[in-house]
Amino acid sequence: MERIRIKAILHRSALLGAIWAALTAPSLEGLAVGILAVPAAVWLSLHLLPARHPLVVWRLALHLPRFVAGSVTGGIDVARRAFARDMPLDPGWVELPVDLPDGGRAALGGEISLMPGTLAAGSHEDRLLVHLLDTGAGFDAAIPREAAEIAAMIGAGPGAGQGAGQGTGQGAGPGTGRGAGRGRA
Amino acid sequence: MTAWLTLVALGVLASLAGALWRVWRGPDPADRMMAAQLVGTGGVALLVLLAPPQDWAALDVALALALLAALAAVGFVKARSPDGAGDPEEAPPPADLARRGDDG
Amino acid sequence: MADLAANLATLLLTALGLLFFVAGTVGLIRFPDTFSRLHALTKADNLGLGFIALGVAFQAESWAQVARIALIWALALLAAGAVAQLVARAALARREAP
Repeated sequence: MERIRIKAILHRSALLGAIWAALTAPSLEGLAVGILAVPAAVWLSLHLLPARHPLVVWRLALHLPRFVAGSVTGGIDVARRAFARDMPLDPGWVELPVDLPDGGRAALGGEISLMPGTLAAGSHEDRLLVHLLDTGAGFDAAIPREAAEIAAMIGAGPGAGQGAGQGTGQGAGPGTGRGAGRGRA
Repeated sequence: MTAWLTLVALGVLASLAGALWRVWRGPDPADRMMAAQLVGTGGVALLVLLAPPQDWAALDVALALALLAALAAVGFVKARSPDGAGDPEEAPPPADLARRGDDG
Repeated sequence: MADLAANLATLLLTALGLLFFVAGTVGLIRFPDTFSRLHALTKADNLGLGFIALGVAFQAESWAQVARIALIWALALLAAGAVAQLVARAALARREAP
């Protein structure tokens, strides 16, 4: 637990320090105030949101470009559908079992809400409720992969020990959510 | 470049106006809550576009708006939740989610 | 020369950003149900903001300004992801209310 705490202090100091630098950059006096402000902010953040999971920074760094690429694809996809004369939509729902702690689940929900064709609507008894823009397009296949990557990133769940590339580490393979949970409009 | 950025800002403003038509018409309260999302992205985009001609001061406003937009949206949604104060997650989803149509 | 390239980049990127804002609005008006409209608004507007921020960053006079634009974009991204979920959930919770 102590290791997690130390790592969290380092990570949060780096993050909050970078934000402080971005906010005050041109002025040296402003930067100097950060010597007090950043540790205070780190202390407060640890108080309000205690570190429970060890964050694996390199996994996060590897994950970000893929997320950005996914959100670009998502924007292009939805723009294409909006402009198309026949507006190809086939909205429906899918429920997926997700084995992540609460914060991880919120992160997953926010992430897939920006990626192509999926929109999280909270969860119900450990099942993530996901709205699909087009049930026939297989958008939901990406969700278990994202869930496994987030699990690996925070060192939680059965996917933690596996490589980030292995999409089925969460036991929620692309097929699991279909059948019972899937429906269309 | 100032003229161009102003032009794009006008375009964003026009598109926001179009989106506000949906906020006005609804019909679902959720359609109206999207106003929070609109301010968060559209308003920030406007301020970022108008920053360069104005000595970049608008950038600080954009930053504050980006920060507050998320909080405003949380307040907006919570005020609208079934018990008036709680988390939308408290309410269970419809049991027949999978078979339910989406335009109800 | 560098100025010209930067201006060209700003021109193209902000135009692209505007296109996505318009797409978001078109989707918001045309799409048939609340949840699909939320897809359009969240994804398209967010990408629009991304392109506009990147475009304006080419006009920045210092790295501090670029950093601040990046921070604004990151905050807006976080907000969009969180708000989309909240609104979707609120819409869902309301639906089964009598």
